[in-house]
Amino acid sequence: MNELNFQEIVQKYSEPLYWHVRNVVGSHEDADDVLQEVFIKVWKALPGFRGGSSVSTWLWRIATNEAVSFLRKKKVRAALGFLPLDASAERVAGADPWFDGDAAQRRLANAVNALPSKQKAVFCMRYFEELPYEEIASVTGTSVGALKASYHQAAEKVKVSIEEEK
Amino acid sequence: MNKKLNYSVPDGYFENLKTRLSQIPAQESRPSRITRLTPYLALAACFAFVVLVGNAVLNRTAVPAASDEEIIEYLIDSDITLAQVVDYLTLNE
Repeated sequence: MNELNFQEIVQKYSEPLYWHVRNVVGSHEDADDVLQEVFIKVWKALPGFRGGSSVSTWLWRIATNEAVSFLRKKKVRAALGFLPLDASAERVAGADPWFDGDAAQRRLANAVNALPSKQKAVFCMRYFEELPYEEIASVTGTSVGALKASYHQAAEKVKVSIEEEK
Repeated sequence: MNKKLNYSVPDGYFENLKTRLSQIPAQESRPSRITRLTPYLALAACFAFVVLVGNAVLNRTAVPAASDEEIIEYLIDSDITLAQVVDYLTLNE
């Protein structure tokens, strides 16, 4: 029964979840690694899923936590010198072979990648995925007011960062 | 999905991804090599433990075998005659 549901989840949500994770982590390789972990967690947690929230909210919560945790670990590894600088969390979009954007989009990607992990996840869900604040609140477990403040703060940082890079 | 950033993926990536992700239940329910070997490893560890402990106990408690001199001395000191020794040896042949 669970396996059947799992296969349905894979078919229906793997692509949108990939884009959600990709927006947060930036590079294709990292998104691929994180998504594999996300689906392993989904498989393990599926028997305990009681439908307290919608399936998509539950999936976005797991994916967001995994992506944010991945970025934090990556930053720590980079700070300790275990990773080369170009592979750090603030990796520039220009170094990603799977980035087809123009100069303006590259500046936007770089500015978003420089945001703190959780703020970045909130910004991506609101700006790129256009999720309503109420849904982002369910995913992150944060109040709508706090999310709005965090989003506006992130948007300001992104604007400043883009202006500086011009 | 992400028109604002123009991220892209390799050709056929999502088909490949779905195939890979749908194999997770089979991979996760298959016991790992270590899990499968655990009973055998436990048995081997028990056997090694018994051998080591047994060996240590024997080494501590074993009485060294008597030398020829000691046996001769014992026979001289006791009242056993040579005929009795011969009788005993022939009886056990």
